[in-house]
Amino acid sequence: MAVEVGTAITDVAVMEASQLGLRAMAAAIAVGSTGIASAAAEMVIGSAAVGATAENKDVFGLVLLLTVIPETIVIFGLVVALLLIF
Amino acid sequence: MLTPEQMSKVLIAAPKDVIEPVIRELYRKRLFHIQDFVEDEHEEYQGYRIGNPLSGAGETSKELLRLRSVTNAFSLRSDDIDPAEKIRESRLQERIEQELPAIEQEVEDLLSRRSTLENQKKEIEQKIDLLLPFADVPVDLPLLRGYRTMAVIAGYLAKRISLNVPCEEYYSESKRGNLLIVVTPNEYRPEVERMLLDAHFQAIPIPDEKGSAKDRIAEYQVQAKSVEQEISGISEKIQALKANHAGFLVACDELLSMDVERAEVPLRFATTDHAFIAEGWVPSDTVRPLTEDLVTASGGRAFVTELPIQKGKDVVPVEYDNISFARPTQFLMDIYSRPKYTELDPTLIVSIVFPIFFGLILGDVGYGALLLAASFGLRKLLKGPEGKMLLDIMRNASISSIFFGILFSECFGFKLPWPSVLPSRHLNIGGEAGGHGPAIPELMIMCVWIGVLHITAGRLLGILNHARQDHGSHRVWAMLANLGWIMVMWGILIMIWSAFPMPLMPDLTGFPPLVLGLSLPAIIGLLIIVLGVVFIVKESALELVELPTILSHVLSYARLVGVGISSVAIAMVINFIAIGMIIEPQLENITIFSVIVIVVGVIVWIIGQILNTILGMIGGGLQSLRLQYVEFFTKFYKGGGVKYNPFGVMRKFSED
Repeated sequence: MAVEVGTAITDVAVMEASQLGLRAMAAAIAVGSTGIASAAAEMVIGSAAVGATAENKDVFGLVLLLTVIPETIVIFGLVVALLLIF
Repeated sequence: MLTPEQMSKVLIAAPKDVIEPVIRELYRKRLFHIQDFVEDEHEEYQGYRIGNPLSGAGETSKELLRLRSVTNAFSLRSDDIDPAEKIRESRLQERIEQELPAIEQEVEDLLSRRSTLENQKKEIEQKIDLLLPFADVPVDLPLLRGYRTMAVIAGYLAKRISLNVPCEEYYSESKRGNLLIVVTPNEYRPEVERMLLDAHFQAIPIPDEKGSAKDRIAEYQVQAKSVEQEISGISEKIQALKANHAGFLVACDELLSMDVERAEVPLRFATTDHAFIAEGWVPSDTVRPLTEDLVTASGGRAFVTELPIQKGKDVVPVEYDNISFARPTQFLMDIYSRPKYTELDPTLIVSIVFPIFFGLILGDVGYGALLLAASFGLRKLLKGPEGKMLLDIMRNASISSIFFGILFSECFGFKLPWPSVLPSRHLNIGGEAGGHGPAIPELMIMCVWIGVLHITAGRLLGILNHARQDHGSHRVWAMLANLGWIMVMWGILIMIWSAFPMPLMPDLTGFPPLVLGLSLPAIIGLLIIVLGVVFIVKESALELVELPTILSHVLSYARLVGVGISSVAIAMVINFIAIGMIIEPQLENITIFSVIVIVVGVIVWIIGQILNTILGMIGGGLQSLRLQYVEFFTKFYKGGGVKYNPFGVMRKFSED
């Protein structure tokens, strides 16, 4: 009897721990994959932006704006991760 | 305040013999934004021609050109010089005539001497390069050339080959390559050359010098050194001249540039044989005083009148009209685009909201204080009006950062003695884990509120802009479309409130369901959304594609929390590594070794925090700027105004 209760408690503890672990994994995937996506998008825009600015300095404000647009992707990832963990 | 400075279109007509006093007066007042005259563009200007520069323009330009060659040689820029004392124009004119030619001559002589010496140095270096391969050859150079029956071939070889013809060889391996010198009777020369070619031989010429190569190189090196010394002597002289005359030269540059600008401005006027006409823009409140000044300056012979502004045809230059608090933010506006003349100028709103967003992201007393100190310390380095504006923006942002640091109870990632007034951002990092952790849901909802209000403000400004700029039925529909966007956003919000209870938001879940499981608030929300969509579609059905941006733009404000918390997390990790892992364990038993480790820990902490300050500044600055540019401006702001650039100059080094 005592052994069975002990096993049940251990099972619950293991389950809770693995749930926590899975949540942490999910958060990591959310931040990591969106980070990669943002980086890939900004890489292309950034290089084009530098080229455009070299041609005409006046477009700096506009291209800065274009460059930070994909940043939203990783921010959403971060938001999802934070909501998952806390 | 929320509109650009009001402008008036002014026409000046006067006989040509008063063109100089009129130009001088316009230049001195620095108010008149000249509209360039283009021949044959307007019917009413039929028969007018572009004016000719004033007399003396050519000489002044040449003088300026000579002066610029001197300032270029000094690599002198007026921004680098502190205007210590302004020189009077008449005195400056005298000095330009008396002193400038002598300085120019001296610099010219020094420069030409330096370039001769530099050429000499280059020649000597070339000779040394030619001699270097033969440095280790044990025979004098004259012995390697000048034979009638023998051929001497010298060059580099990848690896030695055996030449099976009668010849003498010298071979030596070195870092530069493997040198091979072959002396062979003339009749074997083609055969030797062919064999060498097959072995990828690189021939080098035998220098036309006397004595051994080693001695010659030593001699040339001595020569090069003396030439170099002379060059550096001349450079020092040039530097001394620069130090002596920098202030005078930039003042001359300013005065001559002014003279040239004034002399060439008739090229932008419309002229006939005896008169000229200038059109341009001035701030409306200066029309009367400027008119009086011009009439006085021309002895009553100039005619100045205000012209009506032709809407849609005239390009009115834009000058900001802001209170002094908002003025630095004009820099951020110009990075995006200057407002059009008919448009609302949101500089004041940005100047208030930008620092608040920055503070929300980097809410930390320590970082705020560091940035505040930097914004004052950098004033010596960043000169010029734009640098000053940037530092003023940084100052405001850092003050806001300190304020929000007090509210968030944060200093370099540590908790301050009082609890956080706003939802907490403290994470459980390190050994002392426990407590609640950050209040993420509350923080998120705070951001959603900020986003909703900011975007609503943007749409309201959009309504105002359309009311000011458009006409007829289009005006009404454009205004309603903006209202529609607000309605859809708030409708969604009401529907969410009626479905889920949330902290910091009204709870409308208590109502009983009426139709199709929808409660009264949900039905009201739905109706508002439908009406809003109708308004949007009426203006342009294509806009429907943009509907999801309502959600993404509001959620985009989550970056205020996201970027903020990541900066807090980095700060806490730095504290844990430096203090928890490096310093604290050493404090239990202090030895010489532990003192060293503690010092290392302190260094780690300082470097880490400086790094995080820089990251926080870039992150906070860019993200809050982006919220203005993308989420706020896209709702109402177009930009594209022409900068008001009055004819005249801000004198720095000279005075009337």
